Amino acid sequence: MIETTSAPFPTIRVRPWLGRIAVVASLIATFMALVWAPTDAVQGDVYRILYVHVPLAWLAYLAFFVVFLASLGWLWTKRPWFDAVAVASAEIGVLFTGMFIVAGSIWAKPTWGVWWTWDPRLVTTAVMFMMYVGYLLLRSLSTDFSRRATRAAVIGVIAVIDIPIVHLSVLWMNSLHQLPTVVRAGGSPAIDASMGFTLLVSVIAFTLVYFAFLAERVAIELDRQRRMLEARS
Amino acid sequence: MNAFERALLVAARELAAERRHPDGFVAALTFTGLLVLMESLAFGPGQARQPGVASALFWIAILFAATLIATRSFDRELEDDAIDAILVLDGGREALYAGKVVAIAIVLAIVALAAGALSLVLLDLEVALAGHLVLIGVLGILALAPVIVLATLLALRVRARVALVPILSFPILIPQLVACTQGAAAALTGDAAVALGWTGILAAFALVYGVLGLTIVPAAIE
Repeated sequence: MIETTSAPFPTIRVRPWLGRIAVVASLIATFMALVWAPTDAVQGDVYRILYVHVPLAWLAYLAFFVVFLASLGWLWTKRPWFDAVAVASAEIGVLFTGMFIVAGSIWAKPTWGVWWTWDPRLVTTAVMFMMYVGYLLLRSLSTDFSRRATRAAVIGVIAVIDIPIVHLSVLWMNSLHQLPTVVRAGGSPAIDASMGFTLLVSVIAFTLVYFAFLAERVAIELDRQRRMLEARS
Repeated sequence: MNAFERALLVAARELAAERRHPDGFVAALTFTGLLVLMESLAFGPGQARQPGVASALFWIAILFAATLIATRSFDRELEDDAIDAILVLDGGREALYAGKVVAIAIVLAIVALAAGALSLVLLDLEVALAGHLVLIGVLGILALAPVIVLATLLALRVRARVALVPILSFPILIPQLVACTQGAAAALTGDAAVALGWTGILAAFALVYGVLGLTIVPAAIE
């Protein structure tokens, strides 16, 4: 049974501001990535795709971890808000993972000489992408709201296992992909300070974009749920 | 009646139904044999006889056979709404899940035995470590069955269920598929240490997904 008694459809007041802040942050990040950050001594300007590729990877992890938390929330409370957050985050996560793979592929061509290689990081990322495409497919093919939310939540809980597998695959297996540069055990970030700062700004900008998208999509989903419940009653 | 007995009852009922109308079993067996033949032809006998390739072809066929058997098994439950009677019982959901896993693993083991014999004969494979190969086979099936049953349960009464079960389960089953393939290849070539290493991983997967399934299934079925 769906719980609808205590504030099932909270309004998100920061929503209009999030989008504007995200746009400003993105413009700053774009300027820093294309103009302010120095050219890499080895890769030249090609490396600048790092400022898109790494934030996209981070957002893919974040989005799917939010799906996991929201899925637990739904299974625990059966509040529609959690299901709305889960579907919103899954859709954004799939979008960002797709872009993450494409950006990686564009970077791979000039540096590795191929668009795609059977590298553990690439393969595990593609598997993660497929898992959440399956998650969205399950949702789209189910008609009953409660049943759909519960079943999707189970997949949302199980699929989170792939996030550490993707991240640690470069350490566990022989990989062409470089090892973690910023967050790594037993050492400071292996990146120039100005490049590192630009990367940080890019990550913050992309994170704001994620939350702006999330707020909009959750609002749409809650509205859809409300209309569905009204139509049923 | 305790939980274990309830699960065994569901498994026995499932096996009895399969024995009476073995359509799922026959379809899976035919499909697996056909897949092994077609894959071997596509690769050519030289390539298909490589231990790694032969193992991969066999386990991919088994994976598809598992989805066929599980889908047919739940189709039978839905045809006369028998599943609803089990679900309303106290502990019925866990019994349904565990019973289905046991029964489908047994049916799949028979299919694997037949398909394995077919592969060995057709590809003229030499088995260096038969005991290890059997162990990989048993643990591989036990590692596959809980995920396949869980995916089939999640896709129950959903449109395009036949396509959805592999889409949901195969990405989760990739580590198990790698372990089965590598372990079987090691058993064929006689690398006992490597084969035993993969059996440990398969046992861990069987345990983790078995327990996860039992924990999550009561919440997943409504």
